[in-house]
Amino acid sequence: MRTKVHIKGELIDLLAPFYLLPDRKRRFEKALPDPIESDPVNELARAIHPAKLKLEIAEIRRETDSAKTFRFVPAPDSGLTSLPFFRAGQYLSLKVDIDGSPITRPYSISSSPNDTLNNGFYEITIRRKEGGFFTEHIWNSWDAGMIVESSGPCGLFYYDSIRDSKELVGIAGGAGITPFRSMIKDIIENDLDVHFTLLYGTKKADDIIFKDELLELAVKAPYKLSVHFVCSEPDSGWDGLSGFLTSECISNCCGEMDRKTFFICGPQVMYKFLEKEMTCFDIPAKRIRREAFGEIPDITQYHGFPEGAAEKVFEITALIGNESKVLPARATESVVVALERAGIAAPSQCRSGECGFCRSILISGDVFVCPDNDGRRLADKKFSFFHPCSSFPVSDLKIKVIRDI
Amino acid sequence: MSGERTIPKLNDSYDIVVIGAGNGGLAAALQIAVKGGKPLLLEQHNLPGGFATSFVRGRFEFEASLHELAGIGPASDKGGVRAFLEDECKVDIDWVPVPEAYRLILTDDNLDITLPFGVQNYIEAIELEVPGSREPMNKYIELCRDLKDTIGLLGKLNEKPDITKLAESLKNLPAAFGDAASMPVKIGNFMKTLAYTVDEVTKTFNIPAKAMKILYPYWCYLGLPTSRMSFTIWAVMLLEYLERGAYIPRMRSHELASAMEARILELGGQVEYNTRVEKIIVENNQVAGVETASGDVIKTQHVICNASPTLAYNKLISPISAVPPAAYKNVNARKHGGAGFVVYLGLNAPMEEIGIRDYGLFISKNMDTDDIYFSMGKAALNNMQATICLNNAIPYCSPPGTSIISMTTLYKSEAWHTLTPGDYFKLKNKIASDMIDQFEKATHTRIRDHIEEIEVATPVTFARYTGTHGGGVYGYEPEPWDSVIPRILSQKDECYIKGLMFTGGYSQMCHGYSSALMSGQATAGAALRKMGVK
Repeated sequence: MRTKVHIKGELIDLLAPFYLLPDRKRRFEKALPDPIESDPVNELARAIHPAKLKLEIAEIRRETDSAKTFRFVPAPDSGLTSLPFFRAGQYLSLKVDIDGSPITRPYSISSSPNDTLNNGFYEITIRRKEGGFFTEHIWNSWDAGMIVESSGPCGLFYYDSIRDSKELVGIAGGAGITPFRSMIKDIIENDLDVHFTLLYGTKKADDIIFKDELLELAVKAPYKLSVHFVCSEPDSGWDGLSGFLTSECISNCCGEMDRKTFFICGPQVMYKFLEKEMTCFDIPAKRIRREAFGEIPDITQYHGFPEGAAEKVFEITALIGNESKVLPARATESVVVALERAGIAAPSQCRSGECGFCRSILISGDVFVCPDNDGRRLADKKFSFFHPCSSFPVSDLKIKVIRDI
Repeated sequence: MSGERTIPKLNDSYDIVVIGAGNGGLAAALQIAVKGGKPLLLEQHNLPGGFATSFVRGRFEFEASLHELAGIGPASDKGGVRAFLEDECKVDIDWVPVPEAYRLILTDDNLDITLPFGVQNYIEAIELEVPGSREPMNKYIELCRDLKDTIGLLGKLNEKPDITKLAESLKNLPAAFGDAASMPVKIGNFMKTLAYTVDEVTKTFNIPAKAMKILYPYWCYLGLPTSRMSFTIWAVMLLEYLERGAYIPRMRSHELASAMEARILELGGQVEYNTRVEKIIVENNQVAGVETASGDVIKTQHVICNASPTLAYNKLISPISAVPPAAYKNVNARKHGGAGFVVYLGLNAPMEEIGIRDYGLFISKNMDTDDIYFSMGKAALNNMQATICLNNAIPYCSPPGTSIISMTTLYKSEAWHTLTPGDYFKLKNKIASDMIDQFEKATHTRIRDHIEEIEVATPVTFARYTGTHGGGVYGYEPEPWDSVIPRILSQKDECYIKGLMFTGGYSQMCHGYSSALMSGQATAGAALRKMGVK
């Protein structure tokens, strides 16, 4: 048998609940009948992480024969007075309509966070790829004054003072120098308590982007930065390092490997090459940070890609809202490319399987997921959600496409 | 190249639209789909779950917000949430039990104690540490059981009565619990404690002061000091944890969200992401439709809103003139709960090497909840952290030789109001670093050198992904006048716009995963009744 409780006295306890709702009503009566003026936390969230940006090309600078830097400021009608702050090493996902196909491409921001905060711009530096669908388009059509749509800054390739050591090494290949320019400027401009060693590999000396600027910075801040250019096919006049970014080269430039954090950004062949070259250093995984892998140019080279699928073109039935559309899809192109070719506005950002922005539903059929780019969550695998940017059709597919923002 | 973009279209009208795919919105859409309705669930983000999600960094998949769910229980003794999801909705989730109630470290008091689940085990562990606690604790837990049993009865009432007739209505129900003779006393005890705070009730039990400190750490799951917290909701939560234990989904809370999403789709419901509802259109004080940022205009007479009443009345209702002053007064009178701050760490050492065997740790200077709450008002190191060592519940949640720790604390939203974008990254890393120190000092462990991946979520992050007011991860603070029972009994009175109902942590069941899920079930049930579906 339960005993009765006594809190403040039998009568008070018995009556107390009957005052509860009148108390509630009284509190409402006393409150202001007005809407809330603002929510600074949400305003800050939108300022730092806008879903979309409308940017104007303020200036174009030629860096090398094949590389240009584009400076972006807020588009006049964007309503933006300043651009979102970011962490040095992050990228913008540009969205460009090419012949009716909405295409996205991630490009690292090459300017510094201070440039954005104090001078109000981002810079991205693009190297033209001979015959490259996207870069050719940009080369031919982008001019000062043009408006470009972009994501807010995103990506995970940045220095973290808690995680990383104070001795940083950046290994860049080709156009992979761009996030490092941002990081190096950030370190020097903000006097961060770190030292940065840059190893930058290109084919020829003429291909070195930001060469003079990087050398000047190294002279200006020798305690923060040392720079090593390494050319694989130098012309006769080159008196710097030559060859590839081998273990020997890395070891010579960096000295002790112990307690250094490595940042690597370049083409996929370089990642594969460095993976082998750096094995001998026995560096723990936490001290090697790699920029997102990027789109896979040749999926057929991967173990597990079905034999004979390479030449095939499959059919994707894509459910979009309450409609469906049938489109062709090559086995060697990711599902996101097939959607873009069909003019379907599906979201994508990193194009490396990492950010999950394109997460969609695989209703039926099979895809081959690139093992280097499989960023799916466990439960997504369990319930057949997939990332179209890192998945390749190996049968006819039925998918539900997520709406673009 | 087709030369023309295909833009997704939705139907012109739906029987019911659910705004937001958080726990409450998913559960509501699920319940409707299970009953044969065809809900349209609209979510602004590209993922389901709201706070119930996960994210991948390197070789780790981190849980975004969940510590542990109440209301699950083992398959042999299912709690309400598990019964709803598994039996009623056939949702496929792999539930994993959490090994112990909690480890509590109070640094000022030199206290470090681990408490097991199970009422008797829990009380004995306290008795061992603080002799003389057994008897008052037994009585205290008995009172908690009175409240839980009575609330179980309350669920059987189809019509919620006026509070003056509540006790009588409950007594008239056929006895639902073993000891029918005790029921009038139990109902009496429920009524007599309804208006009181945790402190007001707990202090009358003569529990030794040190045992009170050991008893209180779950306060942070409700997030307001025990001097203001409704005793009713506290008692039910405490007993549910102790009796049935706590559970988590094996694949983080993203499994919970994805499982519900997959089931909604299977049942013929429609879910659209990246589709932010901008307007709830109201005509003649009745919901008439919704309009999205993607340009959809959808007719519907029924909206279940997973966004808070604060957001609905301030941002969504269109025209603004359709919001009555009483609705503003309602949301302005209520107090917003805590905003979240979490440090997620992927470590390149296993838990055994780090030296932590427990899943959930509450680390604090002391257990003065007013003092801790006060420290939430400043964007600096907070007095208390609630820390999860995931591998101690799910050993293979990260690759061999690694482990996952996440440290959570709460802030008042106002603490983040004056922050500028330029200072944001610096501040979040500073607080994260201080929290890592706080953990290492309290547990006498070293984790800093093992950090392979780190991510930090702040109130700004939670606002970014969910739009929640002030970055809040809890709903309105459940003081006695704004706790579960007053909310449920006032639902009719406080329905300011016909056809608009709420679900989630800001709705009738108050906050927390389990409450949000159950609110979805309850609200959907009410909506179905209005729609004439049985």
